[in-house]
Amino acid sequence: MTESLAEREREARELRRREADWNYINSLPPKLKTALMFYIETGDLYVAAKIAGLKVEEFNELRIRAKIPHVN
Amino acid sequence: MEAIADASFLIDWARFSLRDLLFRLFRVVWIPEDVLSEIQSESTLMWVAEHLASGDMSLFPTLPEYRDRALRLVELSRRGPTRGLDFPEAYCIAVAEDRGYVVLSENGAAYAAQFLYTTAKVWRAYEVLWELRSKGVVPDDVIFTYQEETKHKFPQGDLQKWRSYRS
Repeated sequence: MTESLAEREREARELRRREADWNYINSLPPKLKTALMFYIETGDLYVAAKIAGLKVEEFNELRIRAKIPHVN
Repeated sequence: MEAIADASFLIDWARFSLRDLLFRLFRVVWIPEDVLSEIQSESTLMWVAEHLASGDMSLFPTLPEYRDRALRLVELSRRGPTRGLDFPEAYCIAVAEDRGYVVLSENGAAYAAQFLYTTAKVWRAYEVLWELRSKGVVPDDVIFTYQEETKHKFPQGDLQKWRSYRS
């Protein structure tokens, strides 16, 4: 079970990395860029929003603009 | 059946055109007070407010006994092999363990928790849609509609499992 859960995390991370709009992400101020990169690596919306200094839903809108899928 | 939802579930689910079908499965969906403060958009707030008014949703207060259990769950999760829980979804799990609610969350750590260290059931939109389909309330292709409308993606394995089942 642990292995299949880890595999799910790997698959989700790969998808986030692949579909992200890196030009858009790289054009953002450092705080927002760092938060999106954290989200791509972890899928953790709550902590990513805190890094960005945004509410979770505001950060989710930013995630959608950056074309990063929410995978779970 | 009753549920308790975190922000990751609500902000995706609120974008879905068939969102009100949630209440065909759950008599009440509880929203922790802290989760409400993470919701920002007018459309999501309006949907939540409408159902708080009708009684389909209800605010769940922050209680010390569940805060303590939630912190222990966060600590426990950090020792495990998968990603650790954050406090908001841990709080939902702590409440659900005690009160028999289903946790509604799109958080991967919360999903993993039910297989590793909690008795609480954790449903993503996937499990909600599965249950609605098994009741004949939604068509087979609803999962693709959900993905398109919410920009949420389910893992390939789950999509294969979905396709292999025919209602």
